Amino acid sequence: MVFEPIWGTIIGMYLFLAGLGGGAYASATYLRLRKPECVHLIRYGRVIAPITVIVGLCLLMVDATAGFHNPLRFVLLLTNFGSVMTWGVVFLAVFTIIALIVVIMDLLGKGRKIPVWLDVFGAVMGICVCVYTGCLLGVAKTFPLWNNPLLPILFLVSAVSTGMAAMLLVSIFRAPKEFDAAVKFKKFHFWLPIAELVLVAAMLFIVANNAQSAGYASVMNLLAGNCAVAFWLVFILVGLVLPTIMEMKMLFFSTKKEEESKSGHMVSGFADLGLLIGGCALRLLVLAAAMPITIAQPWM
Amino acid sequence: MARYGMLIDTIKCIGCYTCRTACQRQNDLLPGQDFIRFEQVENGEYPNVTVQNIPMQCMHCEDAPCAQVCPTGAAHMGADGIVEVDEGRCIGCLYCMAACPYQVRVRNSETGAVDKCRFCTVSAEQSGTKMCTCVEACLTGARTFGDLDDPDSEIVKEIARTGAQPIAGDLTKSKIYYVR
Repeated sequence: MVFEPIWGTIIGMYLFLAGLGGGAYASATYLRLRKPECVHLIRYGRVIAPITVIVGLCLLMVDATAGFHNPLRFVLLLTNFGSVMTWGVVFLAVFTIIALIVVIMDLLGKGRKIPVWLDVFGAVMGICVCVYTGCLLGVAKTFPLWNNPLLPILFLVSAVSTGMAAMLLVSIFRAPKEFDAAVKFKKFHFWLPIAELVLVAAMLFIVANNAQSAGYASVMNLLAGNCAVAFWLVFILVGLVLPTIMEMKMLFFSTKKEEESKSGHMVSGFADLGLLIGGCALRLLVLAAAMPITIAQPWM
Repeated sequence: MARYGMLIDTIKCIGCYTCRTACQRQNDLLPGQDFIRFEQVENGEYPNVTVQNIPMQCMHCEDAPCAQVCPTGAAHMGADGIVEVDEGRCIGCLYCMAACPYQVRVRNSETGAVDKCRFCTVSAEQSGTKMCTCVEACLTGARTFGDLDDPDSEIVKEIARTGAQPIAGDLTKSKIYYVR
């Protein structure tokens, strides 16, 4: 039998958007505490967070056909607290509400009055959402590619990286001065794709040596099979390696003048765009490449 | 309380799909909705090759991963050790399909809800038909159904005689036993 992935593009986009939103909010809170003068950059994070998460949730509801036809059934989502998805619903609901309250206050010009505890609580919920997107897949023992503890960490790092990339990308066009000022923020951001590369390599080594042959089959799907072109070109090259090289050039091997020039901004902008594409590709690839244990090997 | 299970003799199975068709008729399934999936394993080396047919269906696991992950409680452990789906609670998130190690849960393309082998309990309760039509339909008598806790039942004796085992050891404490 040829295996058709259970979750496709819609769920992949949802995992990407939910992570991006959670990561952007957490990054905005970090900036608020460390560099509160970057008012616009913080605001972009706060605007991006609820928008992406709500779009993601809409995708999720459309994909859950039986619930979409009978919306009252979504209330039942809070019945089984043994399920990771139930916890995810709690995190997403609390996070979305906080993110909406905060963005409305910010846009009404009351940004300074937002209590720190609310922002921090929102950031914690945002990180919970990022980790949840990994744990959702991680508990499925059927797929060795998902069922390993590195996946939630990888998704968290990728989520924070894409969240920051989205904020920085908007600020390049809307508030270039703040983009130039947030040097430490950008330098922290620089290390995230490198951490992702390490995590991906470690995860694939471990999964390839899983006791079930499906682990090896999944990794080979990514490295040399159906997903290989997307994996190497889109995720590794466009999504991680090129952005790292471009950011390295801008942050460590350029004069301040070059860094703050239009062309310098352009290079950083493309690096951030690459990271966003890579983050999206990661979710789609992890969904598409995973092989279940019983199809690769019915007798165990 | 019974603890229902099934034995499938893959040595007797000829891969004719009769069980699947009978199941679809009995449970009023859509044409593309199959509760029994067939896997094939090739044994031996050319020219002495044999093909073994392995009908896969809901294993009615005691540690049912589908029931653990189902966020709405639609997939749950019912009476007599039968894993059930309450269609009225299912939102179609497909989490159970991802969690099932045997990949035997199928989505109803009309309602979007997920379903799987019920040991024919729904039709048995509603119209008093016998449980497990697949057992009756099988041409070669490859299937045996019964109470695993009853030492006098045919299935317990068959398991003892053939040394049948669940398909993946004690992976989820499944209640479908295979003779290989």
